Amino acid sequence: MMANVDKFILKNGYGCAAELVPGDTMPTGTSMIEKGEPDIAPELWSNSLKDAIDKGVAEKRLRIAGKSLADGGEEGFWVPKYMVEKDPSLATIAGIRKNAKMFKHPEDPTKSGFYTCPAGWNCQISAGNLFKALKLSDDGFELVDPGSGAGLSGAIAKAYERKQPWFGYYWAPTSVLGKYEMVKVDFGSGINKDEYMKCTSSADCETPKVTMYPPSLVETVTTESFAKRAPGAYEYLTKRAFKNAQMNKLLAWMEDNQADGQVAAEYFLKNNEATWMEWLSPDATAKVKKALAAL
Amino acid sequence: MATESWLTKFPEMERADLVAIRKGLDESYRAFSRTYGDAIESVFNPLLKFLVWFENLLLASPWWLVIAVVVALVYGASRSWKLSLGVIGSFMLIGYFGMWENTMRTMSIITVCTLLSIFMGIPIGIAMARSDKTRAVVTPILDIMQTMPAFVYLIPVVMLLGIGKVPGVIAVVIYAIPPVIRLTNLGIRLVDKEVLEAATAFGANSSQRLWGVQLPLAMPTIMAGINQTIMMALAMVVIASMIGVKGLGQPVLKSITNQYFTMGLFNGLAIVALAIIFDRVSQAYAKRTQRHLGGTQNG
Repeated sequence: MMANVDKFILKNGYGCAAELVPGDTMPTGTSMIEKGEPDIAPELWSNSLKDAIDKGVAEKRLRIAGKSLADGGEEGFWVPKYMVEKDPSLATIAGIRKNAKMFKHPEDPTKSGFYTCPAGWNCQISAGNLFKALKLSDDGFELVDPGSGAGLSGAIAKAYERKQPWFGYYWAPTSVLGKYEMVKVDFGSGINKDEYMKCTSSADCETPKVTMYPPSLVETVTTESFAKRAPGAYEYLTKRAFKNAQMNKLLAWMEDNQADGQVAAEYFLKNNEATWMEWLSPDATAKVKKALAAL
Repeated sequence: MATESWLTKFPEMERADLVAIRKGLDESYRAFSRTYGDAIESVFNPLLKFLVWFENLLLASPWWLVIAVVVALVYGASRSWKLSLGVIGSFMLIGYFGMWENTMRTMSIITVCTLLSIFMGIPIGIAMARSDKTRAVVTPILDIMQTMPAFVYLIPVVMLLGIGKVPGVIAVVIYAIPPVIRLTNLGIRLVDKEVLEAATAFGANSSQRLWGVQLPLAMPTIMAGINQTIMMALAMVVIASMIGVKGLGQPVLKSITNQYFTMGLFNGLAIVALAIIFDRVSQAYAKRTQRHLGGTQNG
């Protein structure tokens, strides 16, 4: 969605020939560092490949243009809202432990299942470390690997449609959490950012401690050559930032209308003129307005 | 807008109508999954129990016992020392490179999938061979099963049955069953008409013709179908692991996201080794049984 907004503005406001290349975080980041392609990653959850990006910036291959989500992304362990409404204690980790029996493992009803982050994603490490730190296995929990993002959201959808118990890792703002309302489980530990950076998010963390997820940076990253080639467009990218509330509202609108990114981008540009006008130079604003009117 | 006509722009449906259709169908599928999901899940429960039991059996047995049993099966089917030694060698390598558990998981699920495909596929193939009408109905269904991208039906299946082994088996069987059906049908249809006439002349009834003449003569073709089914089932391992099936597919997925090329290659090779073992054994078995059959025919 964000990429589509960028595409429309870059194309109509700055005359760039913008083309969207879909890609996951890891391959996109690596490709930008190694090959200098694509030029822009509008929405990179940069915590997940922090080292690589830092290196890219130091070697003058990448530039971090700015935050794409002003408040940062939200990660955590979630339970569906209907469960918390029935039993408010489930919003805390103590309540989850007490009711561990409710969260049945999909393949073995005698155990409890915790849906973790798909294999190979960076969050698999942090979710696994927190699982260990919270000693959830003492309560009968086992990690359930959903295999892919689609598998994870499918599992949420299944539980939600049938009002079944569900407990697992997810992140926001996403259309899944826009559609299926979930409550973030409180570990009662607060956020310990140092601990998270040093240990929780690292595969070599031997004695992980409990901490809530700090807000993750969601940044716009461009290649160095793009920033030099198109300073005007780069400047726009440094200013462009969505607020989480705005993003959630948009995602919910997309869900309600089954809209794809392009339609949603047009909807956003038409209805939130004040927001995006702040991001653009006056000249580009006029051009974008003209293009919108022609739609 | 006046310049746009149906000649220059495809007269497409109004977006709102299209959205209404999409939302309506999605909603009705959700309602279906809400109402019947639990019932359907309990139908598949025995299969799930069996899958879990079989996997635990393979995982809990000591590795030398598993190899011994597999080699006994291989030798029993093929009577070839070379093949048996090859199997021992490849399992040793797999174990040495730390892929034993995942290989056992994959082997258990693939064995179940292949057996299910064969036991469902051959009867369907026979039915197709015996009636042109059935064939006309089944063929397009097989086309859909083979070409429909797996994710189109994976996620609805996940919504119905959750993630894990059962949806994985369903996905693998959907993809892997068509060859055995197609080639059973083809093999039976290719049996010489004159041989059939001769059988009829000797007073064979329709089921005697099927079991005594058509199926044995179609065997080489059917075995080719089974071979293809095994290969396609193993090829689906990675897709199945995207909905939480444990096994060799998971490290492959992991290596894709993290770009661990060697790890991907090792696990991919383990999948290939499994495929070759399954294939060589079934082919050797078929050849052996057919050699004896060919003898009586020529004699």
